[in-house]
Amino acid sequence: MDALVRALAPYVSRVCGAIALDRGDDAMQETFIAVLRNIGSLRDAAALHGWVRRIAVRESIRVARRREVPLDPATLPAVSDSVAAVDIATVLEVRAALADLPPPQRAILVLRDMDGLSESDAAALLELPEGTVKSRLSRARAAFARRWAS
Amino acid sequence: MTIPGGPWPVASLDPIARARVLGAAIPASAFAEVVLDAPYDTTWAWVSDLPHAVPRFDTQVRRLEVRSRWTEGDAERLVITAWSGPGVPLGFDVWLEDGFCLMRGRHRLYVVVMAARPEGDGTRTRFAHVEAVPLPGARLMRGALKRAVDADMRNLARLAASGF
Repeated sequence: MDALVRALAPYVSRVCGAIALDRGDDAMQETFIAVLRNIGSLRDAAALHGWVRRIAVRESIRVARRREVPLDPATLPAVSDSVAAVDIATVLEVRAALADLPPPQRAILVLRDMDGLSESDAAALLELPEGTVKSRLSRARAAFARRWAS
Repeated sequence: MTIPGGPWPVASLDPIARARVLGAAIPASAFAEVVLDAPYDTTWAWVSDLPHAVPRFDTQVRRLEVRSRWTEGDAERLVITAWSGPGVPLGFDVWLEDGFCLMRGRHRLYVVVMAARPEGDGTRTRFAHVEAVPLPGARLMRGALKRAVDADMRNLARLAASGF
């Protein structure tokens, strides 16, 4: 079980961090509890990553909605530890822009722009009509752009 | 599945959370979490000397010996034998890294997790302990396991408070 956690942690940390932000650690913990409790129900080993992605997105939205935490500037410098090669100003801007979005919009942005899923795959994962994903993605990207321009 | 690096925020799973995950995921398990009155470095240096530390705080282990050890990445791997009394010794495969120790009994009879991280200003340590019997029907043992891990944590807290 722990080997599975170690293998999946790099991916899950990115999904949970980008969607649940300051609650990302909690979302990651909840994701792995759900994954390990239900791994026996996974029939096709090849579907593991997609299945984990679905759980990570679901748990991240749930945890992020449970208690929206305002962006805490004191936590921001820690971000640089994990992405040392990236310009710190960009890191902070992305985090701040994500914090402006409701968790479901963050999830769509993460699935499309970080994880590279197609709109139809993102719609299937989130159990939403493709049109809804398209419009939410459009709103999310517009909010991102506004943040950048401000 | 390729996730490019970049500016996206990243979550983390610290050793305590990892122990919570395993404790929550294994059906027949008991979990205890305490804050010890000793700094993390001192605590983990003491705990990770398994043959010395485990028999002193684990009520079910009288003696523990290391059969072999080698490194694997950031982790140390050990094969150990533990005796709970005059009975049959139990072999464990151990995964030991900074702040995290997973001990899996041979034939998956028993799982033990110990995890730690600095607490607050660093003068104290958060410590988590899981004991589990991942076998069908072992849920009935949960009460006994819980009493055992609670007793272990009381012992460890007492040892920490007295400077080990």
